[in-house]
Amino acid sequence: MIRRLTLAAGLVATAALAACGPAPIDAKRQVGPNPFLPELHQYLLPPMHIARVVGWTNGQAPTVAAGLQVQALARGFKNPRSVYVLPNGDVLVAESGGPTPPINRPKEFLMGLFERKSHASEDPGQRIILLRDADGDGAPEVRSVFIDHLNGPFGMALVGNDLYVADTDAVLRFPYTTGATQITTPGVKLTDLPAGTINHHWTKSLTASPDGTKLYAGVGSNSNITENGLDAEKDRAAIWEIDRATGAHRLFATGLRNPNGLTFQPQTNVLWAVINERDELGPDLVPDYMTSVKDGGFYGWPYSYWGRHLDPRVRPQRPDLVARAIVPDYSLSSHVAPLGMVFYTGANLPAAYRGGAFVGEHGSWDRNPWNGYKVVYIPFAGGKPSGPAQDVVTGFIAADGRAHGRPVGLAVDSRGGLLIADDVGGTVWRVTAGP
Amino acid sequence: MSDNPRSTVRIAGHPIHPMLVPFPIACFVGTLLTDITYAHTARMQWANFSVWLLTAGLVMAALAALAGVVDFLGDRRIRNLRAAWIHGTGNALAVLLSIVNVFVHSRDAYTSVVPTGLVLSAIVVLILLVTGWMGWEMVYRHHVGVAGEDRP
Repeated sequence: MIRRLTLAAGLVATAALAACGPAPIDAKRQVGPNPFLPELHQYLLPPMHIARVVGWTNGQAPTVAAGLQVQALARGFKNPRSVYVLPNGDVLVAESGGPTPPINRPKEFLMGLFERKSHASEDPGQRIILLRDADGDGAPEVRSVFIDHLNGPFGMALVGNDLYVADTDAVLRFPYTTGATQITTPGVKLTDLPAGTINHHWTKSLTASPDGTKLYAGVGSNSNITENGLDAEKDRAAIWEIDRATGAHRLFATGLRNPNGLTFQPQTNVLWAVINERDELGPDLVPDYMTSVKDGGFYGWPYSYWGRHLDPRVRPQRPDLVARAIVPDYSLSSHVAPLGMVFYTGANLPAAYRGGAFVGEHGSWDRNPWNGYKVVYIPFAGGKPSGPAQDVVTGFIAADGRAHGRPVGLAVDSRGGLLIADDVGGTVWRVTAGP
Repeated sequence: MSDNPRSTVRIAGHPIHPMLVPFPIACFVGTLLTDITYAHTARMQWANFSVWLLTAGLVMAALAALAGVVDFLGDRRIRNLRAAWIHGTGNALAVLLSIVNVFVHSRDAYTSVVPTGLVLSAIVVLILLVTGWMGWEMVYRHHVGVAGEDRP
């Protein structure tokens, strides 16, 4: 009873304080290369506007744009976070989850209570599942545990016969032979990745350079904005370049708060990524973005955002770094939480979806109304975004805030279908051209 | 039987309120000290100390306030004291400011303390100097809750 009263009092206080923030703008004003950036606002309490996860009931599915259709490739996963397609068409699904964060402040205890409802109730599988749909009817005949006993697996990359898996704390190499449905050989560690007890942003995105000599791993920050101390951020908020032969690494690019969806743009061989930017500066700050990633580039975090806009929450400041902070290429608008990206290289989807990038937006928790919870398409021309993002797959969240699912990682399968890992929905969706 | 103003919330004649007040006072003074240290060092550990001290201070302040309000309502002779009114309203203000302060301290990194949090912590300590003085006046001058000797 006391607990319920406390919760009720907390909710009332939350509503009262959250009402103090600025009104959100139309999120579309922040989509594109030149987003509108409002004045920053530091809350007494950020609006905890969290979707309640209800999952999909039989027959329910996301909504797709005209000319497309969507089907569940497979259901019943334990927190599927990313998908990867092998050359023979087999689909790998990483069931993955992060650590339970430590409670360093009363805030983290309270936010933990709130955020619990926005995540899947089932423990993540911490493994990779293989799906094989050899006859292409959209219903896999083979479903096997491909690699078991992993630790927060997210990134996957095959180079020759070496399959690399980015666990949350290491890049592992597994021997792969075409057609294998299970790997029981233990992985060989290529390199450790920053993890530790906090491990705030734990997903480690992974891709290989076009020539196969290097791996690139996204390593997110260990905090929202250095509230766990600068020491905790060593080698984080960066994209690592890892030498495939030796495991040696260097920081390829820095200042990227939480980079995911690492992919080389197929025509230009330039590395692109989607970045989750910082919270608690208002409903429309800071925009999450997709960007080409320059060797040696610094993209602002934690000292500044969207180029040289200073963040007052960071001490000591670093004007030397801010002076060379790169303005990202393309804003996706604030708090959409992009976690997956893929350039469409297939031939199944209508012409309007060819050559550009799909982005999976996991969805916001601190913005009212919600933002994200969808897959968007950004057209490209000449290796650069060339137009406004279009909603492609929506309906993950209902108007009343019940979330059926949340899109995360994306991939294009061997027949040109777009695959979407839906973590809380426990499903891998497949989008193809409509009948 | 003494004729002193009586404490309503007491155990074996010992008033509870004066046993509780040292906790929030020490916590809120501690908050100011760790805030000052954070402002000088920008090491998050000190800001974390501050927000835990604030939280603990508020919990204990709520208990102390409960005992204090009941005592205040329980004896008209207490309500007739000017010191009791200054003590009560001042402490209510200190608690309200500390509630705002715990939210400010729940921001991330530097602006969880500097400047707003630090200023609020300092104002609260200044208020406590006045209300503490008034509390002692109630006991040592007006013998509120004191057993034995009658007040002069």
